[in-house]
Amino acid sequence: MAYIEIENLSFAYDNKTTALQDVSLSVEQGEWVSILGHNGSGKSTLSKLLVGLLRPKSGSIRVDGFELSEDTLADIRRRIGIVFQNPDNQFVGVTVRDDIAFGLENLCIPREEMIERIEEYSKKVDMFDYLNKEPQQLSGGQKQRVAIAGVLAMRTDVILFDEATSMLDPEGRSRLLQDMKRLNEEGGTIITITHDMRDAVHSDRIVLLKNGGVLADDSARNILGDKELLEQASLELLLPLELMHTLQAEGLGDDTLREYLWQLSLNG
Amino acid sequence: MAIEFERVNYEYQAFDGKAYLALADVNLSINLEGEFIALVGETGSGKSTLAQHMNALLTPTQGRVRMFGLTISRDTTRDKHVKLNPIRQKVGLVFQFPEYQLFEETVLKDITFGPRNYGVSEEEATARAKKAIHTVGLDSSYLERSPFSLSGGEKKRVSIAGILAMEPSVLVLDEPTSGLDPLGRKALLEVFKNIHEQEGKSVMLITHDMDAVYEYAKRVLVMREGNVVYDGAPSQLFTRRNIRVWNLDVPDVLKVTFALKDRFNLEVPGLPRNRRELLEAMREVLA
Repeated sequence: MAYIEIENLSFAYDNKTTALQDVSLSVEQGEWVSILGHNGSGKSTLSKLLVGLLRPKSGSIRVDGFELSEDTLADIRRRIGIVFQNPDNQFVGVTVRDDIAFGLENLCIPREEMIERIEEYSKKVDMFDYLNKEPQQLSGGQKQRVAIAGVLAMRTDVILFDEATSMLDPEGRSRLLQDMKRLNEEGGTIITITHDMRDAVHSDRIVLLKNGGVLADDSARNILGDKELLEQASLELLLPLELMHTLQAEGLGDDTLREYLWQLSLNG
Repeated sequence: MAIEFERVNYEYQAFDGKAYLALADVNLSINLEGEFIALVGETGSGKSTLAQHMNALLTPTQGRVRMFGLTISRDTTRDKHVKLNPIRQKVGLVFQFPEYQLFEETVLKDITFGPRNYGVSEEEATARAKKAIHTVGLDSSYLERSPFSLSGGEKKRVSIAGILAMEPSVLVLDEPTSGLDPLGRKALLEVFKNIHEQEGKSVMLITHDMDAVYEYAKRVLVMREGNVVYDGAPSQLFTRRNIRVWNLDVPDVLKVTFALKDRFNLEVPGLPRNRRELLEAMREVLA
């Protein structure tokens, strides 16, 4: 059984429109899965269901063997941490130190250990020198890194990034992606929710959503290279891959050039 | 006619009691017609502070901003005879996540709220709303809907229509496409292009989207630590070697163009501006 098992999940905000329809997917421990879809495809609804901010209409979510319900919500939130889109909406502390401590306080971690963890995880995201800084002295990227440290310090098994790079400047974005990569290499399970192909290229697997349903669930390479599939999902191929397809369709260029364009899209 | 910044400083005090300079010696001239400007720079570089000076929501701590026959300085806000409201009608400012500011029962009421506040008759305001909703790419059937029943992209369009209905000469938009998927982003950028081309208004976009800067803007301003460190054409900016020191990135189209030149010596004539141009150029080079 996989670490996260979602079966036949459906959800509607009102009686008229269905936001999610019969979604099933699983995530193994140590995997990096991207949930990719256009605006309104249901990806944010899915993330809210996963951490129990919304209650499913039907279907089930299992995390580490626990079926998500009111009774198991606390257990599940100890296992999945979430980093949201807007850096300013999730900074709750007066200083970086307080912000990282917030989750630990809720877990009733003893003071000594709290201090150790704050030190350890702020170093991990390179924010140790900023522990006494206030949010308005930080850039958006730095605030997102503090949010990650807060989640890491709670030692959840999974970190869910809900469009966490979309409000950052180019430097902040590439830095955050590097952090995700490293966490995954160290064995962390990562779920990224995004419509930005550049956030999805590094993941192992992509679950493609369209109008509330799963359109495809395959390796990142297979999905990112599938022009028709992405068009069907109202998404755009990464530029080097679009070039690769155009050239291939017209019999231009050679294998070396095509492979190079692949690599280029991965480095984007 | 222009908006002129003359040696503008803007200082604010943080919670720790220290003073920070959000704008430092900014000199700038922005024409009221025909401009399509991208304002870029890392988080905290002063972009939004600059934008808020453009319609006197903030006033300089030192220096002056001249526009529409007024000179705005530190003393302006203390002088009761100076009326700043007309400026706010002429320079329409669309904040980040404008969709959170929708509040009326219907889209029509929301769009007419601004012009009605400036004394425009209900009839005229309604006519403007009909025109504005069309300009942002929605049809008149939206006017009777509740703004809260709309998608994120539609809400953004409605809030922009609300600013357009005030008939500003200059439109300033703070990260208007953030949170939109590729199709929604492109559609909105085309809306700004149309406003610029068909109505001759000056448009200024604050953005981190280098592809949009390169494809749409005629002029780009780069800010760093409160200074305007670059003011010129996008193509010249992105062919400089050192833009990473400003935390900027090269647009995808140019990244691929440069990479293919370096690796395979594939050189295309001129610089492609967008995907389509790059695809066509590469097709010709390889054929």
